[in-house]
Amino acid sequence: MATRSKSELSATVALIGNPNTGKSSLFNALSGGQARVGNYPGVTVEHKTARMQFGRDKQRIIELVDLPGTYSLSARSADEAVSVEVLSGEMPGVSRPDAVIVILDATNIERNLYLLSQVLELKIPTLVALNMWDRIEAEGISIDPNALSKSLGVPVVCTSASNRQGIPELHLALESLLESPTLGILASEKLASASFPEAFHRSVDELSQWFETQGVSLPRFQIERLLIDDAQGHSYRVIPKGRAHEIAERILESRKSLGAQGIAIPLFETRARYGWIKQQVAGVIERKPRDRKNTASDWIDRWLTHRWVGLLFFFLLMFFIFQSITRIADWPMQGIEFASGWLGDLVKGMLPPGPLESLLSDGIVAGVGSVLVFLPQIAILFFFIAILEDCGYMSRAAFMMDKFMSAIGMSGKSFLPLMSSFACAIPGIMATRTIENRRDRMVTLLIAPLMSCSARWPVYVLMVSAFVPNRTYLGGWVGLQGAVLFGMMCLGALVAIPVAWLLKRFVFPGEPSTFIMELSSYKWPSLRVVAMRVWERILAFLARAGSLIFLTSVLIWAAAYFPGDHSQLDRTVAQLRAEASQPSPDESKLESLETQVNQQRSELISQSYLGKAGHWIEPVVRPLGWDGKIGIAVLASFPAREVIVATLGTIYSLGADQDESSQGLVQQLRSATWPDGRAVYSLATACSIMVFFALCAQCVSTLVTIRRETNSWRWPIFSFVYMTSLAYIGAWIVYNIMSMW
Amino acid sequence: MSLPSKPQAVPVEFLAPEAEGVVVDLCGEERNVHRLEELGIRCGCKIRMLCPGETCLLAIEGKKMCLRLGASAEILVQPLTP
Repeated sequence: MATRSKSELSATVALIGNPNTGKSSLFNALSGGQARVGNYPGVTVEHKTARMQFGRDKQRIIELVDLPGTYSLSARSADEAVSVEVLSGEMPGVSRPDAVIVILDATNIERNLYLLSQVLELKIPTLVALNMWDRIEAEGISIDPNALSKSLGVPVVCTSASNRQGIPELHLALESLLESPTLGILASEKLASASFPEAFHRSVDELSQWFETQGVSLPRFQIERLLIDDAQGHSYRVIPKGRAHEIAERILESRKSLGAQGIAIPLFETRARYGWIKQQVAGVIERKPRDRKNTASDWIDRWLTHRWVGLLFFFLLMFFIFQSITRIADWPMQGIEFASGWLGDLVKGMLPPGPLESLLSDGIVAGVGSVLVFLPQIAILFFFIAILEDCGYMSRAAFMMDKFMSAIGMSGKSFLPLMSSFACAIPGIMATRTIENRRDRMVTLLIAPLMSCSARWPVYVLMVSAFVPNRTYLGGWVGLQGAVLFGMMCLGALVAIPVAWLLKRFVFPGEPSTFIMELSSYKWPSLRVVAMRVWERILAFLARAGSLIFLTSVLIWAAAYFPGDHSQLDRTVAQLRAEASQPSPDESKLESLETQVNQQRSELISQSYLGKAGHWIEPVVRPLGWDGKIGIAVLASFPAREVIVATLGTIYSLGADQDESSQGLVQQLRSATWPDGRAVYSLATACSIMVFFALCAQCVSTLVTIRRETNSWRWPIFSFVYMTSLAYIGAWIVYNIMSMW
Repeated sequence: MSLPSKPQAVPVEFLAPEAEGVVVDLCGEERNVHRLEELGIRCGCKIRMLCPGETCLLAIEGKKMCLRLGASAEILVQPLTP
């Protein structure tokens, strides 16, 4: 990525278009795939930026801004509002674009021109990219791009972003436009709004004057939108707080006056714009009559969207994915576990026993390493999700799910944010911006953290691999561990159903919302796109492991190490190592030293801050079948749930018996005992821990995101309280039922 | 001899699988009708029913769209005879 100062920035160029027009592919093609995305990868509801060099000497830099897909500048949802805010220069941190590239789907040009007709009215130099050009022949469409450019009055370039055709031409056209901006600005009389009734223009003039007298400065475009859009739309966000009622009254007055003159607001707008579109495309586009029936896509859809077959396919697909993850990830996980153990031994071999050696080997390597071991699973999960998204299947799944979601008062639009939450709740919560209905959005946002995100994976995998028997069924095709993992992934979603129903009924009551969604075309997933998404996710996971988990590991180590005099332990460990390094060590002496080390470690950890906290918390967690160590690890994992693995790694590494400390965490958990010698962990304990983690709100970042998206602390507090209560009750029920067996 | 009469306009949900129709009217809440028109569902456009039901899957001018409008809006179509 080019890293230049703001002073070298020559221009800001925005890309806008309808959803499914290949906008992001074009953005990646233009920028060379060097997008600087939002805080969380995979998010398409925020603007993305990338810098590209241009000009003969490549000295000038353009900041490209990829905007969320929208059908119109009459924003209904929060993501559409982002596009309007960027184009009107209201978005903090993004300067008003010097030019706009409007991406049109060449196979559906009339509808796509609707958005262009609105963008042109912003008087920003505009360039049209006629994308999916490679598909028009198959669709029986012929377009004369030169005639279209002449008719529209702005430059038009034909592109196929998926195979990178037309990209150099688009670069050149953009350069020309930035050098001669007037090429892309239409005279007012040529705009679609020129065909709006005269009375409407007079009303806008009057409103404009009224706003001036009230000390409110708004551009003409926004006054037009206020007059056309209803109060539930995002146009009203520009109204100063405290004046909303007065301004809404004045707008209503203008609307009534227009209504009395026979102007139907808002419907006159669509009719006028489509009238303008009809003029623009007359003689430019030809469509050959063709039989659209029974295409391959239709045949696939007939089965994939079938009420029962489609649903069965969806669940089998998910089951297959989770089975595959447990199998494929096995060997890379073993590799990372081996590397982590080797690094810990290396540190122990290089440093004398003491706090530094303990911090590095027991704190950092054991803590961070025990979380990093789950990286392959997370990468494989994202690989499958990216494939499903890129091939067009996800929108079909949303269609199928609408039938079920409407039964609890929600819509299929909630499905995609919830599905994203299986990767991470934060992009899922942000993706709720695509939901137009506020009540639906709030319910989706509040149940999204119940979906089993990738941070829960380390906990599930650790417990399943340690305590669920590794049996297979159906000739080895179905594994018990994979089935339990799948069950745990489904648990949060199943619990979310009654929670959503209760929220809809008692907290956000109202009429059921409508559901309108365009399905993207099927296509072979792009390896580049899939690889980029997986890579982004890996980086995000590593960043988290390198910051929050690293810090927590150090803190947990410190709490488990201090206070206490370790000098005697260090001397005993030094004697043990010296004896072990002898060519023929004395086995009885080794055994005696190991026993002393184990006793001293056990005494030190019980005297530490963590040990004392463990005694304090034990009565609270005992009904769930947990000991103080688990209680401490769960408490430490409230900022981020995957921290439990690092915490257990550190606790058991510090307090482990000498012969167990070199084993993996799984073996250490299996060997853990109560003071009376009973095993701490059983299948019931493992399930109780997994159920607690499936339902609990253990992610500060998620709660902060809920705060940001709802602009209130009320909802993160609500989420925390309801999820934690649900988790405790759920874990108690599961432990007690399973303990009966 | 009288000409065969055109079939009566029906709500789009009434189209049988694979049946085609032309949109003759959009009615209901203005904001929803406005949205439908922005999405390209407007009088005169041809619709093919792919998957019927309360939530239905339609092909509209070559693009697939799923739709559940409930009581908030209605799309009336004139079925096309094969």
